[in-house]
Amino acid sequence: MHHDNGIWVSTEDLMREESFLQSAEKEFAIENIDQTDGKWETNRRDFLKLLGFGLGAATVAASCQIPVKKAIPYVTKPDEIVPGVANYFASSFVHGGDYCAVLVKTREGRPIKIEGNTLSGVTGGGTSARAQASVLSLYDTRRIQFAGKVSDGSVEKMEWAALDREIKSKLAAGGPVRIIANTIMSPTAKLALGEFVAKYPNTQVVSYDPVSSAALVEANKQSFGAAVVPSFKFDAADVIVSFGADFLGTWISPVEYARAYAKNRKITGKGGKMSRHYQVESHMSLTGSNADNRVMIKPSEMGAAIVALYNELAGTSGGPKVGDKAAAAIKKIAADLRNARGKSLVVSGSNNVAEQVIVNKINDILGNINTTVDFTRPSYQRQGDERALSGLIAEMNAGRVQVALVWGANPAWELPQSADFKAAFAKVPVRVSFNTVLDETTLLCNYSAPAHHQLESWGDVEPKAGYLSLIQPTIAPLFETRQAELSLLEWADSANLNRQDEQPYYQYLKSHWASDLFQGQSKYSTPAAFWDMSLHDGVYEKPAADLPSAAAFAGTVDVNAVTKPSGAELEISFYETVNIGGGQYAHNPWLQEMPDPVNRTVWGNYLNIPVESNGKDKINGWKGLEDGDQVEVEVNGQKLTCTVVRNFGQPQGTVSIALGGGREAGGCGVTYGTNVNPALKVENGFIQYYSSDVKVSDKTGVDKHFACVQHHHTLGVHSSADANHNIDEAEYFQGSLTKRSIIFQTNLKDLQELEEKMVEFHEEAEHLNSQTLYPSTDEWFKTGLKWGMYVDLNSCIGCGACQVACVSENNTPIVGKKEVARHHEMTWLRIDRYFYGDIENPKVVYQPMMCQHCDNAPCENVCPVSATTHSMEGINQMAYNRCIGTRYCANNCPYKVRRFNWLDYTTADVWPANEERVFHVEGDEKPFYADNLTRMVLNPDVTVRSRGVIEKCSFCVQRIQEGKLTAKREGRAIMDNDVRTACQTACPTGAIVFGNLNNPESEVNKKTKEAAELAYKVLEEINVRPAVSYSAKVTNTNEELFS
Amino acid sequence: MSQAVAPVRHVLITGNKSYHNITEDLCVPTEKSPTREWIIAFALSAAFLGLYVFAICWTVWKGIGEWGANRTINWAWDITNFVWWIGIGHAGTLISAILLLFRQRWRTGVNRAAEAMTIFAVICAGQFPIFHMGRVWLAFFIFPFPNTRGPLWTNFNSPLLWDVFAISTYFSVSLLFWYTGLVPDLATVRDRASGFRRKMYEFFSFGWTGSAKHWQRWEALSLVLAGISTPLVLSVHTIVSFDFATSVIPGWHTTIFPPYFVAGAVFSGFAMVQTLMVITRKVLKLEDYITINHIESMNKVIVLTGTIVGVAYLTELFIAWYSGYIYEQFAFYNRVFGIYWWSYFGMMFCNVVSPQLFWSRNIRRSIWWTFFLSIVVNIGMWFERFVIIATTLARDYLPSSWSYYRPTWVEISIFTGTMGLFFTLYLIFTRVAPVVAIAEVKSILKVAGDQYIGPDAKHDGHGASHGKSTEKKEAEH
Repeated sequence: MHHDNGIWVSTEDLMREESFLQSAEKEFAIENIDQTDGKWETNRRDFLKLLGFGLGAATVAASCQIPVKKAIPYVTKPDEIVPGVANYFASSFVHGGDYCAVLVKTREGRPIKIEGNTLSGVTGGGTSARAQASVLSLYDTRRIQFAGKVSDGSVEKMEWAALDREIKSKLAAGGPVRIIANTIMSPTAKLALGEFVAKYPNTQVVSYDPVSSAALVEANKQSFGAAVVPSFKFDAADVIVSFGADFLGTWISPVEYARAYAKNRKITGKGGKMSRHYQVESHMSLTGSNADNRVMIKPSEMGAAIVALYNELAGTSGGPKVGDKAAAAIKKIAADLRNARGKSLVVSGSNNVAEQVIVNKINDILGNINTTVDFTRPSYQRQGDERALSGLIAEMNAGRVQVALVWGANPAWELPQSADFKAAFAKVPVRVSFNTVLDETTLLCNYSAPAHHQLESWGDVEPKAGYLSLIQPTIAPLFETRQAELSLLEWADSANLNRQDEQPYYQYLKSHWASDLFQGQSKYSTPAAFWDMSLHDGVYEKPAADLPSAAAFAGTVDVNAVTKPSGAELEISFYETVNIGGGQYAHNPWLQEMPDPVNRTVWGNYLNIPVESNGKDKINGWKGLEDGDQVEVEVNGQKLTCTVVRNFGQPQGTVSIALGGGREAGGCGVTYGTNVNPALKVENGFIQYYSSDVKVSDKTGVDKHFACVQHHHTLGVHSSADANHNIDEAEYFQGSLTKRSIIFQTNLKDLQELEEKMVEFHEEAEHLNSQTLYPSTDEWFKTGLKWGMYVDLNSCIGCGACQVACVSENNTPIVGKKEVARHHEMTWLRIDRYFYGDIENPKVVYQPMMCQHCDNAPCENVCPVSATTHSMEGINQMAYNRCIGTRYCANNCPYKVRRFNWLDYTTADVWPANEERVFHVEGDEKPFYADNLTRMVLNPDVTVRSRGVIEKCSFCVQRIQEGKLTAKREGRAIMDNDVRTACQTACPTGAIVFGNLNNPESEVNKKTKEAAELAYKVLEEINVRPAVSYSAKVTNTNEELFS
Repeated sequence: MSQAVAPVRHVLITGNKSYHNITEDLCVPTEKSPTREWIIAFALSAAFLGLYVFAICWTVWKGIGEWGANRTINWAWDITNFVWWIGIGHAGTLISAILLLFRQRWRTGVNRAAEAMTIFAVICAGQFPIFHMGRVWLAFFIFPFPNTRGPLWTNFNSPLLWDVFAISTYFSVSLLFWYTGLVPDLATVRDRASGFRRKMYEFFSFGWTGSAKHWQRWEALSLVLAGISTPLVLSVHTIVSFDFATSVIPGWHTTIFPPYFVAGAVFSGFAMVQTLMVITRKVLKLEDYITINHIESMNKVIVLTGTIVGVAYLTELFIAWYSGYIYEQFAFYNRVFGIYWWSYFGMMFCNVVSPQLFWSRNIRRSIWWTFFLSIVVNIGMWFERFVIIATTLARDYLPSSWSYYRPTWVEISIFTGTMGLFFTLYLIFTRVAPVVAIAEVKSILKVAGDQYIGPDAKHDGHGASHGKSTEKKEAEH
């Protein structure tokens, strides 16, 4: 090291001492241990440095939550996928006869959310809870992952080719083949089925529906010569009478009906036209709870009630007689109907042909055929006929069936004849199931040829004549599954199948559309353009020329063929629930945890019992039973153990219980509820959903985990005798509830009176609110964006689609029955249900309740760490990372919409401490949310919350952000369509409107203004200044009905 | 603390004690081997403390979901216990500071133990706001410290934050006050000790020598701390009451809460002091220092404050009716006749009815009645907090969300566990420090000069320091 530049660093350098030169040579050398005579001495500074570093490192390591990252970039990015940007694909939700046209939202190639398809002429953009939840079943850990032999409750894997060979060899024997399915609405699937039948002519299809409408179809065949369900036009009817048909909740096509029904019931401040809806029923159904008038009868009196109306209208007499009270009411209903000739509609949910024929005749008398009952657009949503089952069982028992193919149906569980079916089914040598999970029937099969989930499939649907829609895959098949249609074509050695193609069924479907539907239209000149447009829109409407012609009534009415009132002291009715249907949706946790709209229970089916009152101060359950008590019920000789729930509106002398509980295999529905299917009886081949042979024991025990989300039910009920006397009117209980500004309701004819009352209320609230010492914050939100919502309680039917949509959009955890029983449910949006009026036959109002985004929010000022704050756009925001979980905000929320993560529901904690408490699917090793497959359903735009933090409705802030970015990118102001919340898009009736309150043109402003006289804020007088307005509930009650 | 006192006073210390007797009586419990009763009591308390630790670990490990609280009743036993313990922690400071201002010299017999009780009760109380947090590992977020997150500050509008300041201030001032009082006494113990014990007490008595300068500084500090403590007695529970009063929930949102809470706190604090004193004076044989007159005085405070809370309860009901506000009316109707009616009646009986027995002089001066009623009062005060918190939340604005609450074993264990914590600390305290302030008691020994007949009957000194030097001499002999 020579200092040419004349600079030296020390005297040693200057003197060029040996030791310096040596050390300069190895300036950056680290001394080896051996060079220090084997001693590794640490000096004080090193020690402190190491100590400091060690402490620092340990602190950092211990305090940081280390995220698990599994991001793998695309090697070649697909054109249409931009990370972080959602793609929407038009498709259809189909499950048996349930249908909804949908858009599937995908993120980075995986479907995460279902939206309604507004182009559909059937569902018009509405959805149902079932459609919303269908995306979760795609990621069901219980799905069968490959084809194979079923043995000992599991599938032994086989290659598809091997399976095909084996099954084809069995089919080749030429023995009788039976395909057991629910309603099949797909024209192309029917084509494929046709090819299969052509190849194996000994094949027959036995189709039934889990909850049957077979008598309706049969009656239409007898009356009109058309074995279909007509289009019921609820929007064109001014008077609607439903005999037990739950058309808003479960009956045939509820999304379509609800949408139409609400159309004719939009009331503004000026009043308006509103249909009048009578419901004659024997338990409180969703539809009944929305009815303007309910006539309660015993289930066995249904036939007599229909006959009573018929006699009234036709001027005849005869047939069985209904009770006096109901008869008098029906007389008045008939008068109303007569005034609405051609503009009325009578429907019945009965599964008795004679009753349905009489209903047809009633519609005929009223001139409704081809006006509100439209046979030119028949519905194909219920094609099943359970009468074929007895023949099938006999054939199987006789050993005359060689091969049975089970396609989506679950006959080993969902039928009254399931026990017989099982015994007979075992005698079929070759039993193949296309079902996606190891359900009760698949377990009995010897081959499993699992079909895709619908979101992995190609297909088409024709739910109603002329209305077609397509199903397209939105993700590559997760498992080694194959579409059932493709299996059939494969086994049929179809010549039309291009096996070399990557997606043979896609080609098959496309060529069918090209050869069939393309020909029938003139809009597109090439099949490719036609296909592209149809696939893009998801729906296609046939030109009217192709449609069936109008029908005329040509049946014979036999008033004596209807069910006779049994006269039994106690009767039971069975009904389908909005969420889990007849049990076919029971394995979907989102649906299981969606409360039944009417009795508000979750996870299972409960026996509804009537409430009794002394008319003064007591409301008791029938027989002194309380919510959560267990009883033994004996129906038609079948013993069932049921948990009781007291339900207002359940007629005295009756009880009711939902179908669908107590699944025995295949997923999370197992162990919850009671299987009532064996207790159903079959008359003339038709399943009857009631029984007069029922005994209910006294309390035998208590359901420790009785899960009902609503503890208190009423907002003022009065005795039948005295409408001015609230029961339990110790003034401050029911009395003060009726005065609370939660719900405002009136009868249409008293609208004016209510509006005056509301003006007074607003004035009083304004007066109280102006007493505050603090300056008003209203000015802060006068400029820029100010988000708000309007909920039309007249349109809301309580169907719960919004609630499931919210769960899906916002990754809201499912907590399971035990946690719901402890009132730990996490839903951000709930639908409160209140009864009011006559205690024996109360009215119901549903109120979707979510965070009200108060401008003077009580939750915000009490948080010690500012974890919840107000945005400049009027949104009450949660910063989960900042929340320490004092829960003061939840206490101080007047609406109780804040939800605390009591346990590690999402399994977001790093240690698995809570696993036995959080929700497990019975038999699964991991908690529900711990599985990576289940987690694929999570919306990546929304943080999954960990234990110990509060969460609540955010007004879908991620959608707001997305909308703002879209507007910004396009260089324009944000518009209504840019931001629509999940609950809003899910709603089939358009009850929820969201938007910018500062934009006078926004829909939310317009709607609120239209209904200004009816609009109010819940708890307006406590000066929290909510951003959500509600409308008063108006019914069109016939007050003369029971007088 | 020498103050101008009337020449003739009631006898505050009985038994014709000399200064030396006082030192002996009060120091001996710290020097002897523990008695069998102490060991049993300690073992029992420690067992409950163990239960407490277990239940807290369980809660932190598994989540607040192990408690019975739910989406409607987000606070229940946790905050009930918090307010209850904080209330109990009011007597010490009140006795030390306010009674000092009022020249109630009888307080010297009980102030040490009461102050210790205050500190231990505040420690117990402090557990709940911390461990009721969903994410207790982030509890430090509640302190306004400079940070790199913005900086992100705490929300100074939140009564919970006020709580943090109120309680931490109260705790530190009480601790200082108590410890300052202890210093001369620790020095006394030191002077009698040898070996390791002596070293320890030497350390903890800060090298106290009893010089005039020391006494002067000590008295000045005591006075300053008394001055700071006095408003704290009123402010702490006032601020705790703001946790409820500033909310919008009917039944919480009432302006009566601050005075009502303070009265209730003093009430429960005195009851707890009674419970402890009655046992302590018996077990440690301090009947001459904590006399029946002390007990009677405190019973008078109990009947006064009990009546104040009674008036407050009735005022609440009246105002609810008078307001014409349906939510408020319903809330109070529900309190009395609703689902938790039994807790309201428990509260009314224990807090309002039972203390009225103390109008009788015989009952006031009865050890057994005092002990029994002090426990009844504490049960009543627990019910009061439960009524305010759980009953109110269970039935608020929207009937759809109404709910019911039951505690789980975890909550019960935590509550009984804090009793274990409290008594463990208290029992250790009785073993390591004189439970009656030696120096202060000596200052009130003389009722009047001519009445003093003890062996060391000279009027030449000022309280403890003199006594100590005498003792030292005696010990040397």
